[in-house]
Amino acid sequence: MVKRASIDDNGRDRATILQEVENLIVNAEPDKKLLGCNIIENIMQEYASTVKSTDVGLSWEVHFKAKKQFEGTDLKRIFQFCIYLLSEVVKNDPPYSDIMVQLTRHLLQITERVLVWGYVSPILPKRLIGIYESVYESDQAPALKLNDGWSEIMFNPDLVPLMFQVFWKVRDVDELAHHSLNCLVQLASLSGGIVNNEESRMKYLNSYLVNFLNLISNTTVKRKESLGISNIVKKLVMFYISDFSKLTNPLQETLLDEFTRLTCHFCDGATHDEANTDEDNFFYDAYDNMLEAWTTLVADFTSISDELHTSCATRIFNNYVQCHLATPDGTRRTDISDTGGAYEENIEDNDRTKYKEQLQTIGLLSRTILQHSIPVLYKILESRIEVLLATLPVMQQRAMNINEANSLDNLFEDLHWAILIAGHVLCMECDGETALIPSEITHHSSEMAKNSISNIEASLKALASTDAKATVPDNLEQCDPVIRIGYNVMRLCSIEEAAINMKLGHLMSPEVGSSLMWFLKRWCLSYLLPEEDFYQQMSPVLLACLGRDSECSKLIISFLLNKISANLYCFQTEPILLRDTVELFSDMVCTKQKSVYIIKTNSMAKLITLTEEIQPGTLPPNILRGVYKGLVLAGACLVDPNESTMYYERILNPLKIKFKTLLGQENLARICEDERVQKIVIDLLECFIGVAKGSQMATVEILFEFIAPILSEIQVFLNLYKHYQVIVQLILEVFGQCAKYMLCYLRPLDSKKLYESSLAAVQEYAKCNATRLTNGQFAEESSCQDLSLVLDLLTFILSKDCIDLCTKTCDEEITMTASDISLFGLKFIMPLMTIELLKFPNLCAQFYRLLVLINDIYPEKIAGLPEDMMTNLLRCIELGLTNFGSDIVQACLDFIQGMASYLFRHQTLQSPFALALKPFLKLLMDLVLRHQINSDMISSSSTTIYTLICCYQEEYQALVQNLIQNQSDSLVAERLTAAFNNLMFNVQFTCERHAKLRFRDNFDKFIANVHGFLLVK
Amino acid sequence: MADIDDTHFETGDSGASATYPMQCSALRKNGFVMLKTRPCKIVEMSTSKTGKHGHAKVHLVGIDIFSGKKYEDICPSTHNMDVPHVKREDYQLTDISDDGYLSLMSDNGDLREDLKIPEGEVGAQLRTEYDAGKDILCTVLKSCGEEVVIAVKTNTALDK
Repeated sequence: MVKRASIDDNGRDRATILQEVENLIVNAEPDKKLLGCNIIENIMQEYASTVKSTDVGLSWEVHFKAKKQFEGTDLKRIFQFCIYLLSEVVKNDPPYSDIMVQLTRHLLQITERVLVWGYVSPILPKRLIGIYESVYESDQAPALKLNDGWSEIMFNPDLVPLMFQVFWKVRDVDELAHHSLNCLVQLASLSGGIVNNEESRMKYLNSYLVNFLNLISNTTVKRKESLGISNIVKKLVMFYISDFSKLTNPLQETLLDEFTRLTCHFCDGATHDEANTDEDNFFYDAYDNMLEAWTTLVADFTSISDELHTSCATRIFNNYVQCHLATPDGTRRTDISDTGGAYEENIEDNDRTKYKEQLQTIGLLSRTILQHSIPVLYKILESRIEVLLATLPVMQQRAMNINEANSLDNLFEDLHWAILIAGHVLCMECDGETALIPSEITHHSSEMAKNSISNIEASLKALASTDAKATVPDNLEQCDPVIRIGYNVMRLCSIEEAAINMKLGHLMSPEVGSSLMWFLKRWCLSYLLPEEDFYQQMSPVLLACLGRDSECSKLIISFLLNKISANLYCFQTEPILLRDTVELFSDMVCTKQKSVYIIKTNSMAKLITLTEEIQPGTLPPNILRGVYKGLVLAGACLVDPNESTMYYERILNPLKIKFKTLLGQENLARICEDERVQKIVIDLLECFIGVAKGSQMATVEILFEFIAPILSEIQVFLNLYKHYQVIVQLILEVFGQCAKYMLCYLRPLDSKKLYESSLAAVQEYAKCNATRLTNGQFAEESSCQDLSLVLDLLTFILSKDCIDLCTKTCDEEITMTASDISLFGLKFIMPLMTIELLKFPNLCAQFYRLLVLINDIYPEKIAGLPEDMMTNLLRCIELGLTNFGSDIVQACLDFIQGMASYLFRHQTLQSPFALALKPFLKLLMDLVLRHQINSDMISSSSTTIYTLICCYQEEYQALVQNLIQNQSDSLVAERLTAAFNNLMFNVQFTCERHAKLRFRDNFDKFIANVHGFLLVK
Repeated sequence: MADIDDTHFETGDSGASATYPMQCSALRKNGFVMLKTRPCKIVEMSTSKTGKHGHAKVHLVGIDIFSGKKYEDICPSTHNMDVPHVKREDYQLTDISDDGYLSLMSDNGDLREDLKIPEGEVGAQLRTEYDAGKDILCTVLKSCGEEVVIAVKTNTALDK
């Protein structure tokens, strides 16, 4: 009500109310003081949001104006009032009385709200303001962005010291400390027009930093405060990094020193927190914030001396390493790995993924201090390797006692972390880009060689001595530091193998094994056979050891391939280790420039033979496909067609023969249920999936020639194994992967072949499952998995109509298009899509996405559908509008709008489809008017409704008349008529963008207006 | 020890073992495994470890293919698990007797009348469709000496 009134009187009323409330708070009884605070908070609430407050029947523009007016006047007044009261509060020392605590809490809350307020900005469009305001509602407060008008208040020299003083006094009172700290965090992000003046900005920053440093250097930050304090650092760095260099030198130094101290403190805390899983991980998050700040500091704070920088980075690096090493070298709690039998390992949260960002930042920092960091890492590796080597013979002689087993675990944990850190120091993340050696590293390596600290000879010797039995070369100190890490990692691989040969494989750690594979994967991508053209400067030592012409790199390649073979053979029961092994393999061969040096080696031939000899049904799921993907990828480097054919025949022929032999069995129908046959079929399908995944433009022709006959015959299995879900799903996946990885490169004729066999497969699947009812609670879930694969297939096929990378045309005219296939396929599985199944959110989203996609590309295909299919489809859309989440509603709206614009454009308004679409106008109007569509969707519904109105103007008029006539109250009917008139004011039915947008704005007002009096529930 | 032996009981007709061994890590979701001596379909499978540097263990959740009961087990990935032989055969429904037995005809014309109408939704559906005079295919699931009709499908093969 205050808000409504304030619109008319420019806030005069509100000011009076505030005046009275302020008096109340200053003078009245304690109870009434609190009441006063509540009133202020409520008033603020009213003005806080513009987008979501449609409930009082004001349009958005009015909300916006009201908010802006409020910000310019009373919000400042409230803030000043609170600050004044807080300054009174801090005159007393704690402990505070209960009532005092409560009052202070309210004051701090109000102050905090002013500081996290989402200030309106005249330049943002409504949609962005909406996002802004929803950010405000989430945890992450927006920056404190103020205009000039606030200068006097914010730059008051007493404000910042006061707020720090408040915090200092209340930090032991839990319910106050949090709000007070939040205020400080917000003050650290002061930005916007207000800080344009450099002098006042620097004054403010200086004052803030002095107070902040004063605070943190005089106390130990508590775990609860750590997050807030780290946020202050993060925001200061984010908003003021360019001003740091203008600070006095001593202040700069203290600043970095304190930042470093905080970082290390949080890291220690985080390590401690890890051990006690029941506590919140404030320190952990705080540490992340600090590291985030450091990435900016490293890049942009260049005015500090190298010396200072080195010392800070060294402290942080050492501290991180120590936190992850066992005593005596480190501070890791040794009982971490001792969590009993149930150590949950999800693929998603191994250390590598969980600490990815930490490790990346530590890597970044370490690359600035390579002289220090690399030796630390190789020394850790070497000392641990020595211990491990000494332990092996003992293990062989007798069983270990508990203490020995524990120290072995600690040894593995140290190795694991040393490898992880080393991997992040030496290589950068290279998602989708060519992996390069970081320039700091080439520089460092070159410098070491130039200064004769390292030389080629010693480095080569190290790489030749990776065998477990080999002695450590006597000139290892002259080995290049980067090579030395690689040497140690490879040596660990050899030791693992040696242990297997000593029948001690079961005592090795699969975790360390995985980390080794991961490290080698990154190392190979960046360092092995480097593409010299990419580098301005290249280290001669690295080139001599790992370059293309070096004998040594050949040794390394065969070493790695042998290790991959050994893992596939010896660790068949370790799925995660195998996954990393297979990834190493496919990354080694993924670029032609490198695989050309790999493909013709003996080790590669051995690997191929070994893969073929693996007993069916022994590898965990998804491994065999990874190996075949790698094998197929490797062949892409062969340019000579004969060589290429020979290579692929070598790999693919055995598969073909296996497949043919199976199919040729006369008694196939009888023996197909035999376990051995099943295992062979499953492994074959895994291989086919791998082949599809490894296809590239250069190889697709030869690969498709291999797989096409298989695809057309595989239907037999689909029928034979219709009750074996594992096999059915694998077959569907073979098709899906072919469509995903091959189709976009295929020639029209080949595409047609793939279409036909895919369609046949979908049809066969549908035939086996239509009208079938299975018992059991999991029947639905399994149909859901199947159908999701089918929808994948249809979606991948459809994408051929968007992305076709094949340039060849075909003489024969092909009438079949991808969208035909998708629609046909959809027709087959539509009867299987029950409403129960659509309740699985993923499947539902997938289904509607496919519909919209088809509609986007080929509305005419949809418009021309046979009637029963069309009815089904529209029924699905109708369901989608009302039964599921808002993403699905959006998809359905898109669908309707797409179809309606198509109909309007082509003026086919008498077609059966146009008739079928007509009821949606009324449906949508009803949904919107009855508030059954989420308010976020109103604007997209409005454009859909507009498009529908363009198509069906008569129906729209009738609908409006009907609505008006149905109102029993004549006043309401009148207002409704007026509202409808306004809605159409100045809007033409051209279905064009401009008119559409105008309608959207009108509709917004219309809804705000109409909901006010129509929505009587 | 007795319960382990139980898993190896023989089926009367074939004389072959009712199960075969398979390494735990090579099992697949939606495949079959014996859990607590019952033949189960694996509905969930995840890998955990014995300690951070220990070896992989496989956590299996299975649904008894006959009773629908849920079983769970964790075992080292190196262990051999028993996998039941599961056979499924389609029969044409020819009659339902008054005491609830089905008359089923196999593809090669053999008749059998030893299976009862199943419980639950499938049974109800079977009865309605049969009463409606529809042509019905029953899928009979057979494993470890037990048999039951697990699915019904209105036979559309004749229409085509």
